[in-house]
Amino acid sequence: MLETINLSKNFKGKKAVDEVDIYLDEGESVGLLGPNGAGKSTTISIISSLLKPSSGDVKLDGKSIIKNPAEIRKILGVVPQEIALYEELTAYENLKFFGEIYKVKKNILEERIRDVLEIVGLKERQKDLVKTFSGGMKRRVNIAAALLHHPKILILDEPTVGIDPQSRNHILETVRKLNEEQETTILYTSHYMEEVEQLCNRVYIMDHGKVIASGSKSELLSILSSEDTIQVQLSETSDQLIEKIKSFDHVRQVDETDEGIRIISKKGSNILSGLVLAAEKEGIQVTHYQMETPSLEDVFLHLTGKTLRD
Amino acid sequence: MGSFLKKDLLVFWRDRKEILLSLLLPIVIILLLNFAFSGLFDEGAESMDIDVAIVQQDNESIGLEQFEVRVNELDFPPAEKEALLTQATQISPVRLINEFFNDPEMKEWVSAQELGKEKATGLVEEGELDALITIPVGFTESVLSSILLGEETEKNLTINVKEESNEAGALQDMVTNYVNTLNFQFALGTAAEAPAPEPELPEGGREVVEGAQVYTMTQYFTVAIAALFCLFIASTVAMKTVTEKREHVFNRIILTNSKPFNYLMGKIISTFFMAWIQLLITFTVTQLLLDVFSGMSFDFWLGTFVVITAFSIAVSGLTAIFTPITLRLSDPNAANGIFTLIVMGMGMLGGSFFPIDFLPDWVQRIGEWTPNGLTQGTLLEWIQYGSFVDLILPIILLMGFFIACLIIGMFLFPRRERI
Repeated sequence: MLETINLSKNFKGKKAVDEVDIYLDEGESVGLLGPNGAGKSTTISIISSLLKPSSGDVKLDGKSIIKNPAEIRKILGVVPQEIALYEELTAYENLKFFGEIYKVKKNILEERIRDVLEIVGLKERQKDLVKTFSGGMKRRVNIAAALLHHPKILILDEPTVGIDPQSRNHILETVRKLNEEQETTILYTSHYMEEVEQLCNRVYIMDHGKVIASGSKSELLSILSSEDTIQVQLSETSDQLIEKIKSFDHVRQVDETDEGIRIISKKGSNILSGLVLAAEKEGIQVTHYQMETPSLEDVFLHLTGKTLRD
Repeated sequence: MGSFLKKDLLVFWRDRKEILLSLLLPIVIILLLNFAFSGLFDEGAESMDIDVAIVQQDNESIGLEQFEVRVNELDFPPAEKEALLTQATQISPVRLINEFFNDPEMKEWVSAQELGKEKATGLVEEGELDALITIPVGFTESVLSSILLGEETEKNLTINVKEESNEAGALQDMVTNYVNTLNFQFALGTAAEAPAPEPELPEGGREVVEGAQVYTMTQYFTVAIAALFCLFIASTVAMKTVTEKREHVFNRIILTNSKPFNYLMGKIISTFFMAWIQLLITFTVTQLLLDVFSGMSFDFWLGTFVVITAFSIAVSGLTAIFTPITLRLSDPNAANGIFTLIVMGMGMLGGSFFPIDFLPDWVQRIGEWTPNGLTQGTLLEWIQYGSFVDLILPIILLMGFFIACLIIGMFLFPRRERI
């Protein structure tokens, strides 16, 4: 349905987006994951036709949209990271204005406004000025404004930044419903791993303007399939114990945590008995032991050497 | 386009601080200027009342006889002597002085009465009179010799006051001004060898054109300040684009496939309405508070309404240029600085800060081509002459200014990549 081919964008000689290839199939929910400055927003701006690429192409059903952006704009809803609303207008007035300039027919605009306000749960506050809303409520109106023309593709750029948990859950639920019930194709960018894990069928991981990994969640997790992650709670920790464990066969990494240590070892290697013995020798008690399922966060850490919030 | 217009008007309306500034500031400034300058111009001047005594010591017929003797002593051809004597009988300096003080307009300022020297001196001493003007013995002969024979004036009018005051100063200025005018006009008449023209009275601070009414300083301030502040509306509306750009609303608008022309026309038409409303309110409120255009006819108000409408359209043309500039410049302060410079420059050249009559001709000519200068000049002429025909050309020029701005604005409007 929508794809980018070797998409690159330079700003003053610096590559913000570097030969990015991504695609979205109809009805999919795709995540674009990466830390701040990874190039997610620039990629989205190019896909949305707000920026021209330095090279490469964006194709909608096989046709380039670079020279003819009107085509994609008709079927695209964009929820920008910023609150792109008139603060001095009410939620209703904002939606009416954007609905009118999206050329939604007069006789159905009122109904659409009612629908989108219901979707984002702000029907009761529609007559209030946007500037009186909380951050979470503003973000919900921001989403509503992108839904007025029933877009086939919805791009959301970090829609949950800086909001309360209640609004965040509401937004995530809204996006999930749009994808599952209305079959809207979703491109969701975030640096919250759990959101992407919860919402998306496929994920692209970006860093330094490049896509460094992609695939379904299980495909990405298989990158870490050769390793086990073990969380160990100890009565206390000591440097001698950590050094001892590091010297075990098959142990690749030992990190100190708040409650004990985290061990990354070769998959299937049994280090438990050796660990307990070593701890006893040091006079330390093993209080809890858990094999952890790797997360996308672990995948990201493995690929980039840093966490998403770095 | 209607959606953009509605939105722009609503956004402006909700910005109460901006609304109050735009609508009230010109009125406040007009009121302040009016109070600050009222003492120097019309109303204050009219309230000035000077009581003066004229002491007539000269005998006009003796003066004429003495002048005749003097002329006959000269080595002139008889025909020339005859002409000089004829002119002398026509001039009559004492009569001119009396006419000057008895002119109806002068009587609004000065109450003059002929008195003997002793009585007049006594009244001045007692403070009953502001001044005493003496027409000395030999005045007629001296003035005629000065005007017609080019000799030094030996006898001058003398003004005696008990103490210096605004009234005495004003009287002195008036008499000096009158005598200078008298001398100048007779000198012109003599140089051209034509019959001496009747001297005109000096008008003291008012420009008088034949067949025209005068405009007051209050009217001038009202027209000039209203025109200046109206220009600022263009800048205010254009700067709203900066907010739209900063808050990414403009990107959302682009994504709706809206035409730049519609966006721009929304700004232009909203500027027109705001400028128009501002001007109407300024003229109406100042009229109600100060009676600026006292006793003007329905035709006057109709013509003023037409000029105000044309000027508002011209101001909206400025928005057509300012808006794309805000979109092109990444620094909003730079955009604001440019607009302020343009508006203040137009205000200065167009005479919105002060009358520009004293500036070089070429500067005045440029000023007449600014929309505010053109409007100001047109309205002030409209006050004086009230001729509808005189409004046609300025209105065409204001419309031309709007169309030119619109074309430039469309040309300047940035393409997608530059926003």
